[in-house]
Parts: sequence; C-alpha cells; structure tokens
Amino acid sequence: MALPHPTPDDLRDTDAFEALMWAMARPGTVRSLPEGAADLALALLDRETRVHAEDPELARRIAATGAALVTPDRADHAFCTTAAGAMAALAVLPVGSALYPDEGATLVMPAIIGAGPLLGLTGPGIEGQCRLRLGGLPEGLLDLRSARCRYPEGIDLVLVDGRRIVGLPRSVAVEVL
Amino acid sequence: MTLSTLTRPWAAISWGFLDASAKREMRRKMIKAIAVPGCQMPYASREVPMARGWGTGGLQVTLTLLRTDSVVKVIDQGADDSVNAASIRRFLSRVSAAAETWDTLEATLIQSRHRVPEERLREDQVLVLQVPNPEPLRPVQPNMSIARQMHADADYGRLWLVLYEQMVRSGRIMQGAAYPALVNGRHVMTPSPIPRWDVPKLHMARHLTFLSAGREKRLYAVPPFTRVEPLVFSDVPYKVEDHADLVCHRSGLRGVFMNEIPQDGGGSAFEASDSHLGIKAIRRAEGAATTIGPMWYEEGRFRP
Amino acid sequence: MAYVATRGGERAIEQAERLYREALGPITPERVAELRLALPLLVDRVMGEASLYDPDLAALALAQAGGDLYEAVLLLRAWRTTQPRLTIAEPVRQAEILTHRRISAAFKDIPGGQILGPTLDYAHRILATEVMEGETFTPAPVTPAATPAPARQPSLADWQRANGLVADPPRSEVAPDDIPDVTREPLLFPASRAHSLQSLARADTGGLLALGYSAMRGYGNAHPTVNELRLGEAEVMVRHPSGALFSAGRVRVSQAEVTSKGKSGLLDLGFCATFGWNEVKVIAGATLDLNASGAAKGSPVEEEFVLYHTEPVEASGFCIHFKLPHYVTFQSSLDALRGAKTAEKDEVPA
Repeated sequence: MALPHPTPDDLRDTDAFEALMWAMARPGTVRSLPEGAADLALALLDRETRVHAEDPELARRIAATGAALVTPDRADHAFCTTAAGAMAALAVLPVGSALYPDEGATLVMPAIIGAGPLLGLTGPGIEGQCRLRLGGLPEGLLDLRSARCRYPEGIDLVLVDGRRIVGLPRSVAVEVL
Repeated sequence: MTLSTLTRPWAAISWGFLDASAKREMRRKMIKAIAVPGCQMPYASREVPMARGWGTGGLQVTLTLLRTDSVVKVIDQGADDSVNAASIRRFLSRVSAAAETWDTLEATLIQSRHRVPEERLREDQVLVLQVPNPEPLRPVQPNMSIARQMHADADYGRLWLVLYEQMVRSGRIMQGAAYPALVNGRHVMTPSPIPRWDVPKLHMARHLTFLSAGREKRLYAVPPFTRVEPLVFSDVPYKVEDHADLVCHRSGLRGVFMNEIPQDGGGSAFEASDSHLGIKAIRRAEGAATTIGPMWYEEGRFRP
Repeated sequence: MAYVATRGGERAIEQAERLYREALGPITPERVAELRLALPLLVDRVMGEASLYDPDLAALALAQAGGDLYEAVLLLRAWRTTQPRLTIAEPVRQAEILTHRRISAAFKDIPGGQILGPTLDYAHRILATEVMEGETFTPAPVTPAATPAPARQPSLADWQRANGLVADPPRSEVAPDDIPDVTREPLLFPASRAHSLQSLARADTGGLLALGYSAMRGYGNAHPTVNELRLGEAEVMVRHPSGALFSAGRVRVSQAEVTSKGKSGLLDLGFCATFGWNEVKVIAGATLDLNASGAAKGSPVEEEFVLYHTEPVEASGFCIHFKLPHYVTFQSSLDALRGAKTAEKDEVPA
C-alpha cells in the first residue's frame, strides 16, 4: 500500500482545527488560523451540519460544502461578521440540553483581540485567571449567553480578528476587570 | 454541473485514513467535548481497520489530530512494544508518515490503553485514552438512555451508594481501575481503566486529554487545568495502589506503578509498568546520556 | 535494554499475521470470482451486515478473511469508511421492486399471487454425497411458467390499509436527502425510525435470529405472522447534477413484514429489509421490530437491547478484545483485594 499524502485541503483543515482546539482548550490564549474564519467553516462543516452565515460570500462558500443554510434558531454553527448580527444570532441559537449539551451551537464572530476592556477569565483550561483585552463585542453579549444557558447547556464562542482567534467555551466564566 | 463535480480523484486511502467528512464530524464533537469537560459526546464512530474494542475510539481521535509534524507514542498497559500498541503505531505511520517515538518527552501525541505515562505531560502534549466502556453509571444502570438522564440530572446518588456499600462490606472502597471522578464539578466520568495511581495525573494537568470509546460511540475530554476529583468520602481519603515502595527488579526504579510478575518460588518480582521509563533508567545506569523528565510522583508521593 | 529483548512485539505480530495468511494461500482474482459465483448467499449476508453493496469486494473480503464472517464484515466496513459520500439515492418503494419471490402466510392467496421463486423451503435436505465419489451434481433445468408473474407486485399492507385493517405507524415526513443515517450519526434512544431500520438492516444475522427467536418463543408480546416476505432487485435511482433521475444499477434486497393483532384491535406491522437475499434475517428482524413498541427496558426485545447487542462489528470486536492484556486493571483490583484483607486482619481483636 502506497503511503497517502496530505492534500492542501488536509493541511489547511488540520491547521485550522489545531488552532481552534487549543483556543477552546485554553480559553483566552490567542491562536492563529491559516487565513481566517472561512478556514473554520471548511474544517468543520459539511452536509451533516446546519449553518447560519451572515456574509453572503461566506454563505456561498459554506453552501458549497453541502451544509444546509438555515435561520440561526435552527443552526448548529453560526458565522457572523457584525456585532449586531452576532447578538441577534446569540439570542436564538440552540443551546442544547442537559441531556445533549453537544447540541448547543458554536458561534464564530468578530472581535478586536488585544484592545478594549480588560477581561478576567476563569474555568477549565485556565490556570488561575487569564487576563485579556477584547474589543468590538456587542454590549451585553456575555450576559445574554449566561441568561439563555444553564450549564451544561450553552453556546460556544469563537472570536476572530483576522487570522487570530480566541475561544470562549460555555465552561468559562468572564468578568470585566 | 457534471457528475465529476460530485466525485474526487481516486485514492486507495485518504491521508490519515479517515475521509474528510469523518474527520469533520470528529472535530465538531471534540470541540464540544472540550467545552463541556467530562461529558460524553455521542459520535458516529466509523469503522477502522481494527476490531472494535481494540482502540478504535482512541484511533479515530488520534487520526483526526495527526499532523505532518506529529510525533506519536502508543502504549498498551504502559508498554510501547506490547503487540496491540505496536500494531496501532504501525498503522498510524502507514497512513500518515507520522514520526514514531517510545519516549514520552519526544511525543506530541500519546495514544494509550490503561495507563498515563509516569513522566509529567506538558502543555503542548495531547493524551488520547482508549475507553472500553465510557459509562461510569453502567454498574448501577446498564440502560444507556436512563444513564444519560441521570447525567443530565447530575443524579449520582446510586454511584455513591455503591462506594459506601463497599466501605461497609470490605472496610475500604474496592473499585480497582477506572475509578469514577467528578470533572469540573459537574459530570462524573470514568477515566478509562487506568489504575487509581494515574487518576490524579488528570487533575489540573497541563496537557489536554481526550477519552474515546469507538464501540460505544462516545468521546469526552479533560482540558488542561480542569478539576478531576475521584469520588471519595470526606473522612476516607482516595487511595492509590500500594506501589510506592516497590522496586523494579530490572531498572531499579522505585515509586512508579508496577507490573507484578509471579515467581516460581512463590513470591513476586516487580517491573515498572511504564516500559520506556524502565529502558531509560537502565540506560542511565549503564552510563548512557538519557533524559528522564520530571515525574508526577516523587518519593512515591503524588506531587500536585 | 532488557525490555526490548523479552517482548519483541513488532516482530511477533508480523509473523503471526504471516502464519495466518500462509495457511490461506495466495488470493487470486480467480479465487474471488469463484467465491462470488459459488457462495452468493454468503456474499449477500456479508454485504448486508457491512451495509456496502459490492459483491466483488464482499467476495474479496471473504477470501481475505478465509470465510471468517466477522472479519469479512469488518474489512468491508473499514473500507467503506474511506469512501466519500457522493449522493443519496431515492427511496425504494415496495411496489417498484423487481420481485423474484413473494409469499404471504396470512392469506391463502393475495393480490398479485403467491410467487415461490427460488427456495429450498420444500426441498429435502439431503447431502449430495455422490459428488465426493467423483460425480457432478447437476441441477435439473427449470421449466418456465406459461404466464410469467409480473415483475412488480403490489404491497399486501396497502390492501390491508385500504380495508382499514392495519394501524398505520405515525409518519414523519422527511426529505430523502435528510433521512437520518446511522453510519454518519450515533444511534441514540428513542431511536428515529430510520436509525432503527438501518440498524436492523446491518445487524448480525445470528444475533437477530437469537433475539428474534426468543421473542417467537414467548419473550416478546407479539406472535408474528408473515404478512409478506419478498426477495427482489431494486433499482438504485440517483439524481444527475443536471436534475435527471437515472438508475445507477440494481441491488438484491430482502424484506419481511410480519403482523399480529395489536391492542387497538387493528393489525400491527413489523418490518425489516436488508441488502442481499437473507430470509432468516429479515423475518427475525421484522419480529423484533413488531415487538419493540411497549417492550420493558432491558427485555430481550426492547429496541435499545436489540440494536446494541446485534451490531456485528461491535459485538465481535468486544468479544475478541478480551484476548488483549488486562494486567494493569488486574493489578489494580489485586491491590484493592489485598488492601481489604489487611483491613480485615486489623479488625481482629488481639
């Protein structure tokens, strides 16, 4: 049997997932995607997923993976490009249930990483407390998330700033310092 | 659009064996597993070229994590050259050209059945534990749907009761390996059949652990710096195996988990279960340049 | 280096595999072709349990596994894992199946007629020992019927439905592309109808027989009558990207529908279908389907019990995994055992 070789897609998807996995496993640390939010879409989505995408161009690329484009209340993944869009999606995205917490959605949204209010994160993945500045988040984002979800229900946030990402899984507690 | 847009160039096998859609499903579930530590996430669990129960769950996670620069260590019962570990390692390099190692310090990715290495794992390492039965509630509730509801309700009373009954009957908790532990204060998980000796290594660790049961189609994770607390009563401390004072008859190592080897004369000899650590200790004794990393246990005591 | 010298795992597994393969000898295209021709029902069974319809690959798997069914099914399923999903075929409807055999035990005659088709049901099972003496066992030629039965046959349940005799199960309308697929999603309970039927379709024939038989003997609530048993060929209709439907080929299928009088006073139906021709499997599977509703948790006919325990790859794999070393867990139990003994001694008053 000949040794199989990775395709360029394989390499991009593995790199994107590696960045996402560590971003979620160590909330607050900054990781790098090969190019940007679209990498996450390609690494995660196919015809078995239901996706809300705010940006029409990204929506086209996502549709080409076979994923169903749906309204955010039915989506398991949402890709938002504006603060207002993210807030609107967060208000209705599925949060899963105590029985099936995995049905809580993943929301990918923009943020300014390294500028803005200073936040203190605690929880799994964090030794003590992790401090980080995050800007450009819609007002009341994290309050809305905690109001809607009772752990282990939840929505997992992936904040994207160009190629850089920060993960805020549902397990993490965030306070403004 | 033509038929060819639906297909792809023929290849006997994908890089990393799993096809792209299988990997995407694994990725989605692994992210959710990290987001809810210790909670069993159902996944489709594709068939792989090994029998179910032989590490197929761990293998699917490992295949999803493999990168071109991965360095992989595979152990079974602590040994790198155990037959099934050798078979899995050979398969991994056959489908990905991943570099192989026996040395815990060199590995980026460690797939293991029933052991956590004795050298401390670092923040850049991922441990993948093979899990035969992911359900800690199975002894009190064999029906998976009911057990799932019990997890949803954090209804662990019957599990406590079993431990309490053991205390009353035998004067101690009789659970051997696979000691149930509360993760992040919310979900009870089985840490897979690792000895009690190894469970504290998952608590507030620097590395990331995935646990995956291929046959039962469930995977779960323990992110770094996550609480993993064995179920114990406040007045009965958690007890690891009484191996702290045993000495490996081959390497002279002391204060590590041991294999007991029955001897002709009636007694027992002991050898370090972490086989490559044993090899390194022997090499060092022979004067070869060998690096043994910091250990979880020192002087037979677990060091947080 | 003492560890390496005494274990040598890599060499051992290599040689053990060679020993096995040497006993089977070379696998040639001729051997595979002969197996496919000589053992069509075994090939069918393997394809059904593997949920992959490819008689050549199934014959190859049988050749490679030396006839070990569980190994052959695993080989095919693992190969299936590496294959991309290109499209989803249209559902097969009963009345469109090209029917070779179709019988009902519920009525003496049925619309469309009883069609015996190929079967050994009424043959005397006598071993043709003359073959061992050098003679050839040549089957007698078939005399074609004066008026051949139509290739397509209506569904008996449709007649029963029209006569108000059957309780129609609740229907969930799903677009064909969205039908849940148990090879792409985990089986959870209560299972969707699609997941139940798919799991039965790829279940272990022997496992379904054992549990189905237990239901027939009285561990189930419902005694089955074979409403309709059908062997046939189904067209695999797929949609060309241009929109046109076309047949990508035909697959052999079996299906059974069993019935019993339900609590509502109407007939309940149980159903099972699979790739290939495998009557025992579909009758047993349909009997289990008939008994699933209302079965007590943990009973041998309850859906979770049946579907988890008849998965051929999972069941066989777990069974043989007990050959793997378990000395770490054993050591851990031993320690607890010794600890308990010490505690006992301590309690004895001096």
